Amino acid sequence: MAKERVLVAMSGGVDSSVAAGLLVEQGYDVVGATMKLFCHGDDVPDRPCCSLDSVNDARRVCEQLGIPHYVLNLETKFGHDVVDNFVEEYARGRTPIPCVRCNTFTKFRDFLKKADSIDAQWIATGHYARVVDGELRRGVDENKDQTYFLWGIDRAVLSRMILPVGMLDKARTRARAHSMGLEVIAEKPESQEICFVPDGNYTRILEQRLPADAPALSRGPIMTSSGTIVGEHNGFARYTIGQRRGVPGGFPHPMYVIGIRPTNRAVVIGTRDELMGSGVVAREVNWLAAAPSVGHRVSVRVRHRALLALAEIVRLDSDEIELALDEPVSAITPGQSMVLYDGERVLGGGFIEASRRQRVALPVLAA
Amino acid sequence: MTPAADPVYLDHAATTPVREEVFEAMKPFYGPRFGNPSSTHRWGREARAALDEARERVGRCLGARPDEICFTSGGTEGDNLAILGAWRALKAKGRTAVVASPIEHKAILGAVHQAAREGAEERILGITPEGVVDRKSFDDLVDDSVAVCSTMWVNNEIGTIQPVPELAAKAKERGALFHTDAVQAFGKIQIDAQKQQFDFLTISGHKIGAPKGIGALFIRRGTSLEPLMHGGTQDRGRRPGTENVAAAVGLARAAELTLAECEAHCARLRKLRERLEAGILAKIPDAVIHGRGADRAPHIVNISVPGTDSESLLMALDLRGIAASGGSACQSGSISPSHVLSAIGVRPDLAGAAIRMSLGSLTTDHCIDRVIEVFPALVAKARQRTTAQ
Repeated sequence: MAKERVLVAMSGGVDSSVAAGLLVEQGYDVVGATMKLFCHGDDVPDRPCCSLDSVNDARRVCEQLGIPHYVLNLETKFGHDVVDNFVEEYARGRTPIPCVRCNTFTKFRDFLKKADSIDAQWIATGHYARVVDGELRRGVDENKDQTYFLWGIDRAVLSRMILPVGMLDKARTRARAHSMGLEVIAEKPESQEICFVPDGNYTRILEQRLPADAPALSRGPIMTSSGTIVGEHNGFARYTIGQRRGVPGGFPHPMYVIGIRPTNRAVVIGTRDELMGSGVVAREVNWLAAAPSVGHRVSVRVRHRALLALAEIVRLDSDEIELALDEPVSAITPGQSMVLYDGERVLGGGFIEASRRQRVALPVLAA
Repeated sequence: MTPAADPVYLDHAATTPVREEVFEAMKPFYGPRFGNPSSTHRWGREARAALDEARERVGRCLGARPDEICFTSGGTEGDNLAILGAWRALKAKGRTAVVASPIEHKAILGAVHQAAREGAEERILGITPEGVVDRKSFDDLVDDSVAVCSTMWVNNEIGTIQPVPELAAKAKERGALFHTDAVQAFGKIQIDAQKQQFDFLTISGHKIGAPKGIGALFIRRGTSLEPLMHGGTQDRGRRPGTENVAAAVGLARAAELTLAECEAHCARLRKLRERLEAGILAKIPDAVIHGRGADRAPHIVNISVPGTDSESLLMALDLRGIAASGGSACQSGSISPSHVLSAIGVRPDLAGAAIRMSLGSLTTDHCIDRVIEVFPALVAKARQRTTAQ
């Protein structure tokens, strides 16, 4: 029987390199590919274009593993689906999470089409997550779990996904990289930044892409929740919920950004208590398992690496869901993901639309 | 891992293997004849003799005198030296414009942009949909304010042949220097510097069976040229730095062999290409062969199939052991739509589907059979997927 072909998305980092190596060991017909997603300009001679060093690392790893490597140009689609949206979200006063859209649209849709074109039945990535019996589960390394970014993918794609490092923890992944002889990448540092904002300065991208007089980058009031103006800011897109930097002092308690109101360009600040939310509303809901119903109890994560919170589904429309949290959660931020779990199974998720200060109780229905 | 049984190399326009005879000719210079040609002792004299002889032999292949041959590191250096060297030498004399066709190699376009950054006026020639320079636009743009104009003899992506002798003569009438990038033309087109009036001509070794890293620029005697590099007096100061003697000898040998075989080789390639094109068109009647309406060099086919994309097709071809190429590859190896196809007005979706196959010494009838079998099958699958979506 011919070996089954798998197309591996390779970033040049340790996780996807080990993923490819494990698949080679398991006897798959492995093809590596690096996605070119953005270009900081190829006319600048001193700065290599298109994250060139990552591409070179991936190519070297593939050479060492004895598998072919290609570079796939997904720049146009990524720009549209991910970068444009990133800018629009900030312009709307939200805090976007581009990795979710990249997984949904770029890796597990556009990249999948490339797999089709070379008759690869499978696609693989270096994500810390697992696919078991057609369901997405958290990776065994709770610290590294990346399901927070994966809830948006088309459920049908799960049956074609292999996530080889989801069974490992980071230390074992590095150890495997060494044992495979992949010294080039084995000790590469983690990338914590958004890939197209390599220096972490996301406002520069907004400044490049939004008009100079865009409300999101223009001056506006800083006010308390009661409406008292206590200062001025230089663009609400420079703020995110829970932030303390740039917040005026002189209050009896530490103050945080608790809301952004684009209609009057206001950044709203409040106490730690005012930052807490007891309910959360999310949209663009996607299910990776049978959809639960109102009254269902779930674990929920509203921020990457936040502790799981217990909650109950109190409303569920075709595209919107509302949860009541057992205990209040801090800094529920519109634009971020809300991911629902049943144990380690990912049920699905959505983009946070709003947080609720007051807990909504389900009416007790007569049996 | 993917079995690449029966590999088929159809990327001779990208590079060619070093010929055995060339390799042999170079060997002594990696061994006992290792001297520096600028040294005055016996080792130096031996190297110098070989270098001078190589210069004479390359010159003979172009109808040029030895002092008109400047060894370079390859096509890119030759193109840059001609454009920037001429512009920098002439700008003080009131010739402030630089002219090129839009289908030039990036080495020319990049050099022209650099000249523009240094104050030159950049003028880009018109091009017909067949991929040939528009003569009227040449007449309009090449006037007495032009320092240098450049038109490649054979286009590297679509293979179209430009009327270089005619354009060179026109440029001469207007006192403008004329450069031609003949990297793909050498061995395919008759080049004779005595009869044709170009002032500069670039060739590259690795396209004709010599190693990478060697090329030559023909510089007509008496032509003004500012060197790109500064230092020693090698090559009359035009190209300082210790000469790559072995590679120069290799280039001379490769050039001679290429010319000696030119007629038979071209006839063979032409037959193979006709069969390839006919075979593909028979199975994919709506395939578009770019530049087909013009005279083309016999070794290049550039073909687009509607409803496919180059990136996926090239990957699928490679996994079946067939090497071809797309538009111009960027440094990362990703493929962008070709500026050549855009310039001749090819629709973006078709430009994004372009596959260049370039034939050469490694191409046999068997290779063509394989491509005629595999390519249409891959295309059919790709189109099925497109319509299914």
